[in-house]
Amino acid sequence: MSITMKIENLEAKIGDKQILKGLNLELEPGKVHAIMGPNGAGKSTLSKAIVGHYDIEVLGGDITYKGKSIIEMEAEERALEGIFLSFQHPVEIPGVNNAYFLRTALNAKRKHQGKEELNAAEFLREMKGHLEMLGMKSDMISRSLNEGFSGGEKKRNEILQMLILEPEVIILDEIDSGLDIDALRQVSEGINRMKDGKRTFLVITHYSRILDYIEPDYIHVLKDGKVIKTAGPELVPYLEEHGYDGIKED
Amino acid sequence: MNLITLKNKNRKELASTLNIENKEDREVLLEKFSSIGLPNKKTEEYHYFDIEKLLDVDYKTLNYVPRSIEESDKVEIVDGVVTKAPKGLRVFSEISETIDMDHFDGLYYLGHLLSPRIIKIQVDGDAHVEILHKYTQSDTLINYRVEISNQANRHVTMYENFETEDIKNALVLYGYDMNIAQDSTLRMVRLQTMSDNKYSMVSSHQINVGKNANIVLKNFDLGGDQALQTLKVVLGEHAHIDAEHLLYLNNDSKRGTASQIIHRGVHSTSRQVAKNILDGKARGIFDALIRVEKTAKFTKAEQNAKSILLHEKAYMVSKPQLEIYIDELEASHGATTGQLDDKQLFYLQSRGISRLEARKILVIAFANTLIGTVKDTRHQERIKTAFEDVFYASNKG
Repeated sequence: MSITMKIENLEAKIGDKQILKGLNLELEPGKVHAIMGPNGAGKSTLSKAIVGHYDIEVLGGDITYKGKSIIEMEAEERALEGIFLSFQHPVEIPGVNNAYFLRTALNAKRKHQGKEELNAAEFLREMKGHLEMLGMKSDMISRSLNEGFSGGEKKRNEILQMLILEPEVIILDEIDSGLDIDALRQVSEGINRMKDGKRTFLVITHYSRILDYIEPDYIHVLKDGKVIKTAGPELVPYLEEHGYDGIKED
Repeated sequence: MNLITLKNKNRKELASTLNIENKEDREVLLEKFSSIGLPNKKTEEYHYFDIEKLLDVDYKTLNYVPRSIEESDKVEIVDGVVTKAPKGLRVFSEISETIDMDHFDGLYYLGHLLSPRIIKIQVDGDAHVEILHKYTQSDTLINYRVEISNQANRHVTMYENFETEDIKNALVLYGYDMNIAQDSTLRMVRLQTMSDNKYSMVSSHQINVGKNANIVLKNFDLGGDQALQTLKVVLGEHAHIDAEHLLYLNNDSKRGTASQIIHRGVHSTSRQVAKNILDGKARGIFDALIRVEKTAKFTKAEQNAKSILLHEKAYMVSKPQLEIYIDELEASHGATTGQLDDKQLFYLQSRGISRLEARKILVIAFANTLIGTVKDTRHQERIKTAFEDVFYASNKG
């Protein structure tokens, strides 16, 4: 079995509080891994640790991606290597044109891959289909990045970035929060479109609703900074019925 | 001429030094200047600005002889003398009759004393006017004043720009006296980029905004050397000012604005926004007072200053102040100074954009929130380019 990302005995803290306490997890290529768990279990901390968030101090353990440790890598290097986080609360940046930002990010990636950068016209052609599929109005890319966007628009914009950057490991942190049924369907369609048998998805969620749209291969239950159980999708109805307290550690 | 020699002189001595003895029309001005005196470290508006160092230099002086004015698409003022002007615009030189006798800045009065004949620009109808100031003389005191007036019910937009030849160590004292006619609008968009050691500037302005009139000031100050603008604005009944200041400084430059916006008429409104970006050892100044007088019931006043420090040695003096003499009003003010937002930086980095590039994007974005309000896209692009040129020149990494 090949492994895209391996997290071994990861310990991390935010401020003075240790959140991850020896977490182990293996992500397989082409699979959808759902991370579920109660509030404060460390779900978002895990996603931040993978992408190199400045809040996180890694105390021990390692994260290897395609066989290489990424613990010491800057956030932008991890992104260029193909790791993408869809934020739970995407930040608003007034004055930064969304299209300019998207093109800058795409061209940074293309440059990293040794490809030619896209000019504005080429970029807009590339965007058109994605915008239509996500039900995004074309004026959304001429507005300031996330400024004044509704919750649903922000999430669509995250998925738009995912579609154009074509990452290999996609972390979706509470992607369903703040979405109505229609938005959830469109966002899920965007995500499912990215499934190609090679990309790995890490879906972080409180609720099973998103898993009706993005079918998981594995469910990992996170509690008190550790993965306490890994199972197939059959675990979802059990969790619905019994909650996290009913889970026994593997 | 060394202007510091005017320090602590009585009226008679001043008249003699400035060569204006026996000129009755200068008497009141002289009286006013001698009572206020030259600004120094203790003068509130100049407290953070090394004015005495600038004044204490032996500058050459110029002989201001009006020239024949060539027709052009813009008003061009070279070393304080009008050389070009568009057809249909009334531009002439005349003794000033509308001097404010209650200005807070001593250099406002000194400017008038040194330049009894001022440049008058009278704009008829709706118009777009460009004014280009050019400086060509090294080691020289260049002093002149400009009076601008418009017509009632008309809308004027002015673009003010500055150019220099290869000069050094000049001091420019200039400023506007503006009378914004009833029910009219005047928009002034000012762009200044200066290189170090070419010239320093103190500009002292006086603006009267008539009943139902509206003035929009957009000041894009892109640094270099030393400059201070002092600004006094008096708002009449239902008058409005919208003043925006963008300041970008690096190296050792010291620049900024000291302003007083005075609400005198009922229902007058003001909005003043300053965005400051400081790098290197630069020092920025935003010392801004809004005064609401007893006659200005139902005033609305809003003032805000935000500053980003890009270097640990950069320093910003932000002093928004409210002075209120009535109860029936809405007023707010605030100032924040900090560094670039970590969350925003991280968001950009998480998409593969380098930290250095992310910093550049955020600084430019901060500036764009003001540059983007310039309605004319050609001028907006011009200012944007000027900002990016200056910013990238000092952030080459």
